[in-house]
Amino acid sequence: MNKLVIGHFYPDLLNLYGDRGNVLALYRRASLRGIDVEIRSISVGDPLGEDDIDIGFFGGGQDSEQNIMASDLIEKKGPVIKNMIESGKVFLCICGGYQMLGQYYREHDGSMLTCLGALPHYTEGKKERFINDTVYEFTLPSGEAITVAGFENHSGRTYLGEGEKPFMKVVTGHGNNGEDGGEGAVYKNTFCTYSHGSFLPKNPKIADILIEIAMKNRYGEDYVLPPLDSSVEDEARAQALDYIEHGKEQMI
Amino acid sequence: MIRTRIASLTAKFTRKSLRLMGKGATTLPGKLALKISPSAIRDLSKGKNIITITGTNGKTTSSHMISEMLTSMGYDVINNISGANLASGIATTLICEKGTGKGEKIYVLETDEAAFAKIAGDLSPKVSVVTNLFRDQLDRYGELTYTRDCIANGIDKTSAKLILNADDSLVSSLGKGREDRSVFFGIDKECMKSNNVKYPAKKGVLEASSDAVYCPDCNAKYEYESRSFGHLGNFRCPSCGFQSPKERFGIIYDGGVSPSMDNYPFSIKDNASGKTENITLKIPGSHNLYNTCGAIAAVEAIEEILKNSPNDGEIFARACDAQQHVKAAFGRMEKISVGDKNLCILLVKNPVGLDRSLSFVAESTDAAALMLCLNSNFADGKDVSWIWDVDFESKAEDLPDSVYVSGQRWGDMKLRVTYAGCNVTDSGDMSKVMDMLKEALDKCPAGKCVYVLPNYTSMLDLRGRLVNELGLKDFWK
Repeated sequence: MNKLVIGHFYPDLLNLYGDRGNVLALYRRASLRGIDVEIRSISVGDPLGEDDIDIGFFGGGQDSEQNIMASDLIEKKGPVIKNMIESGKVFLCICGGYQMLGQYYREHDGSMLTCLGALPHYTEGKKERFINDTVYEFTLPSGEAITVAGFENHSGRTYLGEGEKPFMKVVTGHGNNGEDGGEGAVYKNTFCTYSHGSFLPKNPKIADILIEIAMKNRYGEDYVLPPLDSSVEDEARAQALDYIEHGKEQMI
Repeated sequence: MIRTRIASLTAKFTRKSLRLMGKGATTLPGKLALKISPSAIRDLSKGKNIITITGTNGKTTSSHMISEMLTSMGYDVINNISGANLASGIATTLICEKGTGKGEKIYVLETDEAAFAKIAGDLSPKVSVVTNLFRDQLDRYGELTYTRDCIANGIDKTSAKLILNADDSLVSSLGKGREDRSVFFGIDKECMKSNNVKYPAKKGVLEASSDAVYCPDCNAKYEYESRSFGHLGNFRCPSCGFQSPKERFGIIYDGGVSPSMDNYPFSIKDNASGKTENITLKIPGSHNLYNTCGAIAAVEAIEEILKNSPNDGEIFARACDAQQHVKAAFGRMEKISVGDKNLCILLVKNPVGLDRSLSFVAESTDAAALMLCLNSNFADGKDVSWIWDVDFESKAEDLPDSVYVSGQRWGDMKLRVTYAGCNVTDSGDMSKVMDMLKEALDKCPAGKCVYVLPNYTSMLDLRGRLVNELGLKDFWK
């Protein structure tokens, strides 16, 4: 039986806005294909080896909680994570996790938060938060563009660095910074986004891409992910997109 | 004071006018009054007996329990039970509500956490209850530690007796440095140990993380000897040693029997007098063990103050007795008869609320169907991703086979439930909700119950439809 290990980083601290839904989506879509999936918690003080996991996941946290894990991330696990990213390990990083892998986070009052520096992007904090339903366009490896539904809630404006490309194109919402139309970042097999919560559940094609890359990493380039029904996921995305386009605030 | 008098007159006139127009008028009169006289709440609170109730979950239920208990004990209780818990609603209550005129007046005021920080000093309550602090629409309320600090600021402007949940690290830490006026309630430590965690995480899936599991002073992870739910439990910081305080009022119950049943028997021990009283749970659900105990602690505290009497166990016995007169409030565990079947509506507003309600349905012996309604209007929070923070997985097997899903975001909820391993019988937006509900009731065997778990605006929507289409009247009062 094929195996897949998902490392959930700091699940007891970085757990805002339903980010664990992404882990549940990876678990489900891999398990239903007969893959033996293990989810491992990797938190403050836990050891980390480069080959311990196939997919790494970082969610977003509250400021006070990010302060608790920042030194563990940067000082203890940082060097290993950097090697993993460079060697093509699969990562998915949401919001705070995305920001923390970058160079720095400058708060709107000017104070600087040091970040891991595994990726070249940096983030400027602003007072106004971007809080809304979002629609993005994602281009599959085949070249086909698909519509993706999400939700963003962030005050940071992120600017990509050399070697990084936007993960998706903004259709509705603000994305990285509200200026350049880019959303998230891709570097090798590390995917970052501001989209919280049910990002992978409602967008199963992206979940499948992550699983397939991780399986190819483990079992070789010839590995092909078996097909899997996505009708409930597709219905949920269609309903969300319909609500984003036509839904109205209801006065009761 | 003159300004406040003018403000009061204006508020009363506004209230009368609005009521003539058929409006509830629970906030606008107070809003106007505060415009005219910003010190209205302070002026009107002078000399009054006030109990405030704040915290994330259980405010309405606790206020309701305290009110019913004090009423049955002969007090003239005035409250803001319609849920108008901001400064405007509280000013409206202070100005416009008259009471019955029989017995000593006590104001029982449910107070929003953020509003509490601003108006606690003006209200100068005699007793202040903090139920719990859980994650709730972070984009509106901000971080939990911030909410806790707001409440601490409010408390410091009063000399109120504090009724604090011992098992909630964020709430019980409010007692630090305020030991002389803190009364703790919670599950008896030995009892909690023997009933440790009812629903372990499903194999293979990490448990849903809870908030506040690290000590805010030391950043060290709390060690738990036992837990009740969420981050509530018998915790201890290995670094500074801060731990769940010894409770004065301890809940003792048999975890082998579900608190989902009506009239669930349990007991509360008053560790000050050493007396233990057996009572039955009037509003079912394990979280209501906490609400009941907190309400008894609040009633005891206000009586000790008003009667200047010692805690010899007599007030405690009367408070426990009064608790037996409490009835459910709408949307909070009330069962409504529809023919020979029941309909039970449980309002769910945040992850821990939904988690508790799912446990309740999973443990109940009469559940024939479950309906979940998810809206995303402003009052609900625009972001529905919190449903992924709820541990559906561990309860899925014990939920009814018939699951219906509705609300503006039925697609998101259907996906969540499906991912947990449930089969969804039917789904669609609120225009379809009554058809689904009628189907669920049709298929429901006699004596069994259809459980509906709506969030805030979907509950209001559903309430209107139930009145119009099933002819149920005013059952929420």
